[in-house]
Amino acid sequence: MLIELNNIHKTYDNGQPLHVLKGIDLSIEKGEFVSIMGASGSGKSTLLNILGILDNYDEGEYHLAGHLIKNLSERESATYRNQMIGFVFQSFNLIGFKTAVENVELPLFYQGMNRHRRHEIAMSYLEKMGLTDWASHYPNEMSGGQKQRVAIARALITHPEIILADEPTGALDSKTSVEVMELLTKLNREDGVTIIVVTHESGVANCADKIVHIKDGLIERIEDNRQHHSSVFGTTTIMK
Amino acid sequence: MRHYFDFDTLREIIDSLFRNRRRTILTGFGIFWGLFMLLFLVGGGNGLKHMLSENFEGFASNTMVMISSNTSKPWKGMKEGRYWQLTRRDVKRLKALMPELDVVAPIVSNWGQTAYYKGNSTNPGVKGISGDYNKIEQPLIKYGRAISDSDVEQERKVCVIGKRIYNDLFPEGGDPCGEFIRVGSVFLQVIGVDFSSGNLSINGSSDNSVIIPFSVAAKLYKRGENVDLICMTGKNGIKMKPLEPRVRSIMAREHLFDPTDDQALMVLNTEQIFSIVDNLFRGVNFLIWLVGIGTLLAGAVGVSNIMMVTVRERTVEIGIRRAIGAVPGDILSQIIWESVTLTLAAGSAGIVFSVLILNVVEVIAHKPFFQIHFWTAILAALLLSVLGVLAGLAPALRAMKIKPVDAMRDE
Ligand SMILES: Nc1ncnc2c1ncn2[C@@H]1O[C@H](COP(=O)(O)OP(=O)(O)OP(=O)(O)O)[C@@H](O)[C@H]1O
Ligand SMILES: [Mg+2]
Repeated sequence: MLIELNNIHKTYDNGQPLHVLKGIDLSIEKGEFVSIMGASGSGKSTLLNILGILDNYDEGEYHLAGHLIKNLSERESATYRNQMIGFVFQSFNLIGFKTAVENVELPLFYQGMNRHRRHEIAMSYLEKMGLTDWASHYPNEMSGGQKQRVAIARALITHPEIILADEPTGALDSKTSVEVMELLTKLNREDGVTIIVVTHESGVANCADKIVHIKDGLIERIEDNRQHHSSVFGTTTIMK
Repeated sequence: MRHYFDFDTLREIIDSLFRNRRRTILTGFGIFWGLFMLLFLVGGGNGLKHMLSENFEGFASNTMVMISSNTSKPWKGMKEGRYWQLTRRDVKRLKALMPELDVVAPIVSNWGQTAYYKGNSTNPGVKGISGDYNKIEQPLIKYGRAISDSDVEQERKVCVIGKRIYNDLFPEGGDPCGEFIRVGSVFLQVIGVDFSSGNLSINGSSDNSVIIPFSVAAKLYKRGENVDLICMTGKNGIKMKPLEPRVRSIMAREHLFDPTDDQALMVLNTEQIFSIVDNLFRGVNFLIWLVGIGTLLAGAVGVSNIMMVTVRERTVEIGIRRAIGAVPGDILSQIIWESVTLTLAAGSAGIVFSVLILNVVEVIAHKPFFQIHFWTAILAALLLSVLGVLAGLAPALRAMKIKPVDAMRDE
């Protein structure tokens, strides 16, 4: 098991406590493509943040590739994030004063890799994303789809085993949404990257092999979607 | 993870600083101005001090000058108001009784003379000196030589003329040595020209003097044993002020006046003048550093404040950095390096600017006294680095507290 969650609880306490995750049990194997769906406020992002070691949890156990992820030092969690996990966010979260290629290089910078090699690797990932010509452009000169592909390149550059994507198509139109999902699907199929996508859109969720439905901080059901029949709008479109 | 400073880190810092150019420049300006003020004031203060001490140039700083005057107290049956005079014997006596003294030199002077050479004339003061007086008021010999002891012993009718006298009598310039000028009714052979321009001098500035051997002056002006004043310097490292009571008591015993009668013997101590000037400038310097460092500190607080705001604005960016593998130490050092880089860059500009301005001042004032010392600049740069670190500390600690989840916040 790559990811193993046992009875995960999370309570936010800003003045008055808000019990968001109320005992999540979930296992995800290496190479799976999973989507997480649920109503707004049901705790999807909270769950994804815990999976990405961006945030901690209060109760239960989380094992990542056999390691218990609990009370880690900043250094340890930074290392796990840097080496095992790639993040793709709804609002792209590129650094605005850096060019596309500099954004992609950044995780390698924090690994201490030298500039020249870093640049080369980042360029090869941008090439994979079809963005060679955009390498020296700043994020505000690019379209949403291009920005998201830069973000994906940045997520991939450290060869992570897992890609965590929080509504990666949330800010994109349906055509670029399809492109981004095709990219993620290809990564999953060809490179065996484990992909977990939080989404509201059934078309996006339909790309996954497994759909986890969350309701009020609990897993309502896990849908087997290997046939990709989940979307009523068909398998190749994403309805906006 | 990274623990060293290299070109990449520098790029990273410069990128961040250039992101908000206007704010960076405004922030840096505080530091720039602070450093400029500090160095400009330090340079200006030193320049003024030098210009002032230029007036004392060529004048021994530990000189005591003695002048006789009417007594103001009755003594041993004699009434007050009695006049007495210093004599050549006093010179010998002081030399014999006070081994601390280096030079004891009498002066005889005469005013209201007219000097002639060919068709030209001028009104010098005539000063009769001994050879060792030159150690007290050092001449700046342009032509020829100064008065020597043998001139005094052999009563040679020779003279050294000051710059103004030279210009008046020899308007065509050239070396006047060997020429005879007439002063009053006597002919004196010029043996030297003194170009010294220090404004501190005894009995008339050397600029405007005809200096002749002491023995000649005494004869010409019929002084007998009497002298106008006696100048003394101490041997190396001897302070003059503490010697004053002994000098007074020796003179009082000899000339029969009350040793407590300060008015009967006027004693002038150049050490005191020099130390007043020194103290004045020590005070001025203190103020300069106080004001300069105050301005600098204000600049540093400005940097700290703005960096604080910047850190808050960069919460998402820092969160992203944390999410993709930066440890808190990376963030801490980045913010501190940003602060140090900003302060150093702005401060260096301040150093360069103050050096330039001080150069301009030197050109305008025609005096090479204003430029700051190389080490002052180095010290300023060190001070700046420390300030940079301190200014960056609070913002950096705040930035360190930013969590990776903060990357997810939508702004
Ligand atoms: N940092 C936080 N502090 C306090 N409450 C929070 C915090 N983050 C999220 N919450 C609350 O926790 C609940 C779950 O939030 P979460 O972001 O996980 O929902 P979500 O399923 O991702 O919703 P959406 O689909 O709108 O993104 C919400 O009620 C939200 O207000
Ligand atoms: Mg969410």
